[in-house]
Amino acid sequence: MIASVSKMATRVRCSVVATAMAAALLGGCAVNDTGASEPWDPIETPNRFIFAVNRAVDTIAIRPVAVLYRDWVPEPAQKSVRNLLDNLGEPVTAINEVFQGDPSRAGVTLARFVVNSTIGLAGLFDVAAMMGMPRTKTDAGQTIGMWAGKGVEPENGGFYLVLPLAGPSNARDATGLMVDYAIDPFQILPVAFNWDFWYYSLPRFGLNVIDYRSRTMFALDDLEKNSVDYYAALRSAYTQNRAELIRAKRDKTDTKSELERRDNLALVK
Amino acid sequence: MPLLAGRRLAFRLAAGTAVALLAEPAFAASPAADLVSATVAEGFSIMKSPNSPQRQAAIKQILMTRFDLPFMAQTALGKYWDGATAEQRQRFVKATEESEAKTYNERFGQYSGLELKVVKTTDRPNGVEVVDTRIIQQNGSQPLKLEWEVRKTNQGLRITDVKVEGVSMVVTRRSDFNSYIQQNGGKVDALIEALEAKAKGP
Repeated sequence: MIASVSKMATRVRCSVVATAMAAALLGGCAVNDTGASEPWDPIETPNRFIFAVNRAVDTIAIRPVAVLYRDWVPEPAQKSVRNLLDNLGEPVTAINEVFQGDPSRAGVTLARFVVNSTIGLAGLFDVAAMMGMPRTKTDAGQTIGMWAGKGVEPENGGFYLVLPLAGPSNARDATGLMVDYAIDPFQILPVAFNWDFWYYSLPRFGLNVIDYRSRTMFALDDLEKNSVDYYAALRSAYTQNRAELIRAKRDKTDTKSELERRDNLALVK
Repeated sequence: MPLLAGRRLAFRLAAGTAVALLAEPAFAASPAADLVSATVAEGFSIMKSPNSPQRQAAIKQILMTRFDLPFMAQTALGKYWDGATAEQRQRFVKATEESEAKTYNERFGQYSGLELKVVKTTDRPNGVEVVDTRIIQQNGSQPLKLEWEVRKTNQGLRITDVKVEGVSMVVTRRSDFNSYIQQNGGKVDALIEALEAKAKGP
């Protein structure tokens, strides 16, 4: 009850600030009945331009390759490529899990990395999952969103931003992307030991793009086909999806749910 | 005639399986959860027939009887609903129904044959029940999280929103629609025409 009242109070305060800012920038602010306001997009014109360029590049070069990859590469091979890429991403996830206040989860991620890199043949096979260590994935954008403070709704990630090639993002997640890049051992090592760009960095990047595009194909096609303004629909969907991930992180550290968890444990004993 | 009878039998069998599937899970005790599982089972069983205008009509029938489409349409239009005339509203709701039927035809097709698990039902203070479900994917990837908003209406319980991995259909539509209206000089007619054209198109 108290929580909901204080939440209401924050929401009111937020919407006052948001309205003031939006009034200055956009001339209006629609706060809907779910409490989520429209994503803040002060640089919509340049964003739409980059979005159009991205779409052109996607239609000509990326999507066709991703379709071929999805339909012609055998399923087990696709799975192994995904495992390999995921394994290279585990250290970043582990570091972020430490900063999200979940060192035990970080330990599991690290154990997964060790097991899969060795027994799993450099990450081609997800042996750790079979051993009862399921994969988790997180990034610095979520870490920032998690600690952004109670007053900041997870939907509020700063201004919306369309990145060249990478697509939808916002101030929070773009910062997270840079942080992840800076702390990734598999981005630092190639520079430190002068690994061949053509044999490591480029294939990793390329495979990541194709793998990611083939996995998002259905959802993006669905969104594009069923929207009248694809840019706005994707902006909304991206914001909501990121908010959901951050909300799940916050709920885990929420005092009430922590107490409930302990109660449940006590009941089990 | 024997062919027709056979088909009728097949349909009865399918309906029977759907009912059996529904009766099985013991945890799906709440009426809201039952509504969701029934809707999905019905959608999947329709998907067994090849794509045709009849199938799309059947999907539309599900949407009309299980979902509160006028409410969803009104929410999706957001602040522009108040300014719209009765005739505009009617055309808008009709156009949304058509385009949603198309959308769901494809969505049910994509997930057909997969297993839907009801996790839990949560009561919200505003009278909405949220049914949390997972779709178990075949290729071993993470299960898909689907949350269904169920509301009491005059016609009984109706689904008013579906959230896929946190992305609400209604909220996304509203963003989409509002932006389109803004791009077109704040005219609701522009949106209605675009939706009608979409419903007619391939």
